[in-house]
Amino acid sequence: MRELELYFGPQHLGMVGNFSITLQVEGDRILKATANPGYLHRGFEKLMEYRTWIQNFPLVCRINVVEPDHIEMVYAMAVEKLANIEVPERAHYVRSIYLELARVGSHLFGLWAYANMLGFDTVAQWAMYHRDLVMDLFEELTGGRVYHIYIWPGGVRRDFPVGFKDKIVNTLHSIGGCVPDYDNTFFNNRLFYDRAKGVGTVTREQAMAMGGTGQVMRATGMQYDIRKVEPYAAYDKVPWDVPTRKDGDAYSRIWVVRDEMIESVHMIFKLLDAMPEGEVYHRVPNPFKWKIPKGEAYVRCESSRGELGLYLVSNGENKPYRVHFRTPSYPHGLTILEKVLENASIADVGNIMISLYVVAPEIDR
Amino acid sequence: MDRNQLIKWLKAPAKMGHKYSLHAVYFCTGCGIIEVPPSITARWDAERFGVLPVATPRHANLFLITGYVSVKTLRAIIRTYEQMPEPKFTVGFGSCPINGGMYWDSYNTIKHLDKYIPVDGWIAGCMPRPEAIFVAVTHLWTLIDKDMADGYKRYRDQYKAYRANQERALGKLEWPPLFPIREKQ
Amino acid sequence: MATAVSNQGKTMNASLKKKLDSVFDKIHIAVPEETRMVVTVQKDAALSVLSFLKNQGFTHLGLISCVDWIHQQMFELVYILSAYMQDDEKTIDREKLHIILKAKIPRENPRFHSVIPIFENAEPYEREIHELFGIYFEGHPRLEPLFLERQYKIPPFRKDFDTRKYVRKTFDTIPPVEKKAGKR
Repeated sequence: MRELELYFGPQHLGMVGNFSITLQVEGDRILKATANPGYLHRGFEKLMEYRTWIQNFPLVCRINVVEPDHIEMVYAMAVEKLANIEVPERAHYVRSIYLELARVGSHLFGLWAYANMLGFDTVAQWAMYHRDLVMDLFEELTGGRVYHIYIWPGGVRRDFPVGFKDKIVNTLHSIGGCVPDYDNTFFNNRLFYDRAKGVGTVTREQAMAMGGTGQVMRATGMQYDIRKVEPYAAYDKVPWDVPTRKDGDAYSRIWVVRDEMIESVHMIFKLLDAMPEGEVYHRVPNPFKWKIPKGEAYVRCESSRGELGLYLVSNGENKPYRVHFRTPSYPHGLTILEKVLENASIADVGNIMISLYVVAPEIDR
Repeated sequence: MDRNQLIKWLKAPAKMGHKYSLHAVYFCTGCGIIEVPPSITARWDAERFGVLPVATPRHANLFLITGYVSVKTLRAIIRTYEQMPEPKFTVGFGSCPINGGMYWDSYNTIKHLDKYIPVDGWIAGCMPRPEAIFVAVTHLWTLIDKDMADGYKRYRDQYKAYRANQERALGKLEWPPLFPIREKQ
Repeated sequence: MATAVSNQGKTMNASLKKKLDSVFDKIHIAVPEETRMVVTVQKDAALSVLSFLKNQGFTHLGLISCVDWIHQQMFELVYILSAYMQDDEKTIDREKLHIILKAKIPRENPRFHSVIPIFENAEPYEREIHELFGIYFEGHPRLEPLFLERQYKIPPFRKDFDTRKYVRKTFDTIPPVEKKAGKR
């Protein structure tokens, strides 16, 4: 049979996000896959060198559009480390609750994309509806549905409004009450098992050699979670578990996503009970003339896709000198995707790409 | 339906048919794609306005450019736009296609989208809400009624200027001109 | 509980520092806090230090970055290493540590060896640095453009590339096709 070159390009029904893969196929089997990023490159790291430290906060959250909150967190943590700013105790708890809500919203978005890809349209509609309920909570707290700009160096911008704790509890109860429906329709469905079992297998040795983190690693059995390895915010103050599976294929990764969502919901309830009173913000000096001493820092946190890190270099001025984000979709979407797509069939390309949880703006920045 | 609507349907049924079935090309151009799935799913249902996502540009007549446009994406956008059959309408979503938005000083994004393809309307915001898409769709209906949504006609008439701008931004284009370029334009 | 962990962290750092000092000379090691170690090496020793650290168990290459110190006329390559978990359920101290390894190369005609033989996932990072800073990596199988499409006279992330001047020269000079319509 002859070889053919196909473009699984940016305008494609199976592509979520602006990303393109070039496939060399023979019949139905893929011989070689090449990822083409760059459709969303804005040169963030160069733009950030022209804006002051505080002016960068609205810019930096637009790197990952599905969940912008972890990137604000990691930038704020790096700035606090360089400038030696202390964060009050209540702010740690508020940040953790906010990040866990963002994780739930992001996993529901991933579930929408994956369920649509496999053909379960009803479950996709439910997931997007529940994500909208979480977005309503964000809108009440911060004023924006998608881009929040809530975490500031020194704490968070404002405290919870009156009655917000009850609203969180009610929303999460209504989402959690639908988990049996999700299980019966999607997760325990024989069709999901047939379509996803054994597809896109990443073994532990492959993941370790190619820099995989997050669900790709946890689906092979290792409990690798930055919230346990290097705890930040209030994650070491409440007991919680890291869910894992053993097989490393798409089926295991989506089951890990489901377990993580449920674990996040339980964690939010525990954090709400344990939260102390106090202020949520330590004032920073005049943000227009704020200079940060020389130094460098590498901080990392666990976003919903894997290890998110930031390498920040300051030269003693009021603007950053060098900023470099280590995003989890970079090794997943460039190295691991090309490896896993060899000898796959064309029908499984979308399935594999979305189960690896690749978000295109994170690769290009 | 009242008398006014009935008369409109009898006088120009094709135009009414175009209006009430604006099928949008499924192309996730930029940031703004995060507010399109909420608007096409159950909570803010876009199908009651006639707006559905379709797979190929050959089936579509609405192009929603959600968010900023980088140089590589502009190539894909022009190819998609030229493959859509006429009459076709373009809506710029977000503040980035209007004048560059937050990335006004980036070396890889283009700043004004209507120098390269004709745009019928803009939605301001960063990010606009799903209801803003519906306000834009209803505004587009009134423009179509008055025959003012004529982006595709302007593209045909001034194709020489558009093509010159596209070549300045992208370099050599791999596809031949869509309309023959006459020198006396 | 916290003091026990930090004491163990300090001993972990101290033992690793001693090992590195004994094997390599002309190496500078700083431990600013208990979870971080900064190792500055000469550019010729970078590959051997990286393979030594990989044999000690630091198998996760998180990031390869580059900083443009234009006043000193040097580029500084930065490698960030950490360790995966050996045991599936519990972490040991080595896994709480991350190492920042830095090497400076001259800014004039910059070249460096690729670390792909040691860490397989270095390939896209080095491609990106080649495209955005102009550093040539010897031994890299595929140094093609990753993000950018156009040719730039100066690689865009260097400090002497002024992005606002570039935007004014390139994009703002393209004429609009029609005058903006009036009230719609």
